[in-house]
Amino acid sequence: MTAPAVPAPRSGLARPFLRLRVAGYAFFLPFLVAFLVTVVAPLAYAIYLSFFQDRMIGGTVFSGLANYARAIGDALFGAGLLRVALFLVVQVPIMLLIALGCALAIDSGRLRWPSLFRITIFMPYAVPAVVAALMWGYMYGDEFGLVGQIGDALGVALPDLLSRSWMLASIGNMVTWEFVGYNMIILYAALRAVPEELYEAAEMDGAGAIRIAWSIKLPALRPALLVATVFSIIGSFQLFNEPNILQTLAPAVITTSYTPNMYAYNLAFNGQQINYSAAVAVVLGLVTVVVAYAVQLLTARREKTL
Amino acid sequence: MRTLPSRVVITGAAAALSLSLASCGGGSGGGASDAAPAAAAPSASAAVQDALTKPAELTFWTWVTGIEKTVARFEAKYPNIKVNVVNAGQSADQYTKLQTAIKAGSGAPDVAQVEYFALPQFALSKQVVNLADYGAGALKDKFAASAWAQVAINGGVYGIPQDTGPMAMFYRKDIFDKLKIEPPKTWAEFVEAAKKVKADNPDNFLTTVDPGDAGGVDSMIWQAGGTPFKTSGESNVSVSLATDPGVKQWVSTWSTLLGEKLVDPQPGWTDEWWKGMGSGKYAVWLTGAWAPNGIVNSIPKTRGKWAVAPMPQYDAAQPMNAENGGSSVAVIPQSKNIPAAVAFAEWLNSDPEAVKSLNEEAGLFPATKALLDDPAFRDAPLDFFGGQKINQVLSDASAAVRPGWQYLPFQVYANSVFKDTVGQAIDGGGDLNAALKAWQDRITAFGTEQGFTLSSGG
Repeated sequence: MTAPAVPAPRSGLARPFLRLRVAGYAFFLPFLVAFLVTVVAPLAYAIYLSFFQDRMIGGTVFSGLANYARAIGDALFGAGLLRVALFLVVQVPIMLLIALGCALAIDSGRLRWPSLFRITIFMPYAVPAVVAALMWGYMYGDEFGLVGQIGDALGVALPDLLSRSWMLASIGNMVTWEFVGYNMIILYAALRAVPEELYEAAEMDGAGAIRIAWSIKLPALRPALLVATVFSIIGSFQLFNEPNILQTLAPAVITTSYTPNMYAYNLAFNGQQINYSAAVAVVLGLVTVVVAYAVQLLTARREKTL
Repeated sequence: MRTLPSRVVITGAAAALSLSLASCGGGSGGGASDAAPAAAAPSASAAVQDALTKPAELTFWTWVTGIEKTVARFEAKYPNIKVNVVNAGQSADQYTKLQTAIKAGSGAPDVAQVEYFALPQFALSKQVVNLADYGAGALKDKFAASAWAQVAINGGVYGIPQDTGPMAMFYRKDIFDKLKIEPPKTWAEFVEAAKKVKADNPDNFLTTVDPGDAGGVDSMIWQAGGTPFKTSGESNVSVSLATDPGVKQWVSTWSTLLGEKLVDPQPGWTDEWWKGMGSGKYAVWLTGAWAPNGIVNSIPKTRGKWAVAPMPQYDAAQPMNAENGGSSVAVIPQSKNIPAAVAFAEWLNSDPEAVKSLNEEAGLFPATKALLDDPAFRDAPLDFFGGQKINQVLSDASAAVRPGWQYLPFQVYANSVFKDTVGQAIDGGGDLNAALKAWQDRITAFGTEQGFTLSSGG
């Protein structure tokens, strides 16, 4: 009965602190549950599966690291990795440069309808990848597709964009179309975070638009560019939807091991080699992590030396 | 089912049951009770008949368009059973889902469409019910031999044949007439016809060959007398793509056609391909008897321009044919009501009313002898084919199918890597023999890894 009259200073401090901790966990819990159930558990299960071998005759046996040894020496897997690596070094810089240009253009304030421009560039990202692949696949057709019709109208024979030599470039074009808007938004958001005073100060110092872009906007964009690059690296290694859809149009060009993800998918679902497929997926994940981390380290080091 | 007297249901022998079912489907079931002899009935097959009268709900995975109409007839006849028709994707897409659901232990349908080429794989891994345990062996004589042979695996019966695809040559009569080409009776004549088409217009081709369609090439090899895949017992597999004489026959003709660019290595079923079929860029489609449905629906403007002839032969004195495609309906062990599922699968594919509906309302080419031999079916002229009685050609094509062909117990995988190997040579003009050897190597490596004993002998 006396307690409310004389509030103890100790408990007065401890209670909010305790409440804060509980509240913190309470906020954290939904994410934690979702994270454990949808990320950690499947990953752990895939790693677990990768240590076994399931045969149609003979059932499941523990095989240790055999699946990993095989994956590392697997020529089909290696060729797929090289292919997506090539895709990465060509497509990602092109896509990010275009996205950068678009973001700077919107931010410059010199466009007539900046939000229309923004939404138009972003729109392809809202198109499901499967639909996009079907649509582009149709347009690429060299006989009756858009490309073929343009060629006919101009009276020239345009190259078959679904042929062996053009396929990777055609997929690169599709992916660029899809993701320029997405990266543009990331970069544009970073640009919006630059304090207005910086621009004012630069203007007072007599800097023009190009000088401002070079000396203020680009340095400010560096962290966002890094994020976009890392996302794009992951996306490149995970390349699947576009080639998988185009496969029906060019089955001999896009083999079952065209990209590492397609290889893992076909192993698991056409060959029922779920265990080996899991090992391939884990190795692919590790390669992605290593490459993404290396890029991050390199950028960080360069930032230090600057 | 209410019309079928319960005495039949309980006491009928397997053979008589299918008879009584047949008469039931034929019209009123009133007289069926007389058809039931008092012979000892396998209890399982009695349970199958019994199931038709009890309330049940079945899920049926199929990608046959229009099959809902046939299923509705079943539900009208047996109102206690509700069948949910689900399209879970086509072919390999559906098998992926099916195998995943079976592995997961739940989520699989009671009944599923499984193509003949994939059935051995499901049968071997016990992912489909052996219907012989439920008396389905008694249905054997109802089906064309070539159809039944594809569901009778390792002494069991793993599916009920639904439709078949005896191969035939679908050709553009208008183009043949214009170029004065007679439908080729032999493959040598086929090559000559291809040269004529090419000479007339270098952009046109007699036909296409799909570098991604293993099934098409499997069937062509079958038609050439090949048996490159053999399974004995549960684990002995022989693959002889590099040495089989039938394969060699196929290679000799098709390496000429491909090497001289007389046929177009164009993937089938794509927009480009259908447009080529409609525009007259291609004049021939060598395929299964199910093709008319696709032609009529996809390129309706070619009405009246098509005709059908038997497949070209390697030896005209000994005509041989093959099956291309076709599906069975299998029962999944996960089903909570296997007898009802079996009863449904049997009715759907063997009842005269059902098979007529499958043919007329779903466009399937029949698997039952009764319909294949039915004069009303055989002698019907089809307007789309300029009034030709094409079912005569196609029914005869069914009878000419060469027995003895086998698919691998892992044909789904083997077919999936066809495009990585043989497809490369078809598309890029490479050496077919080397490509077939590469395919054999991929198949052999996979089979060995899966615990099979592989040999390359014939």
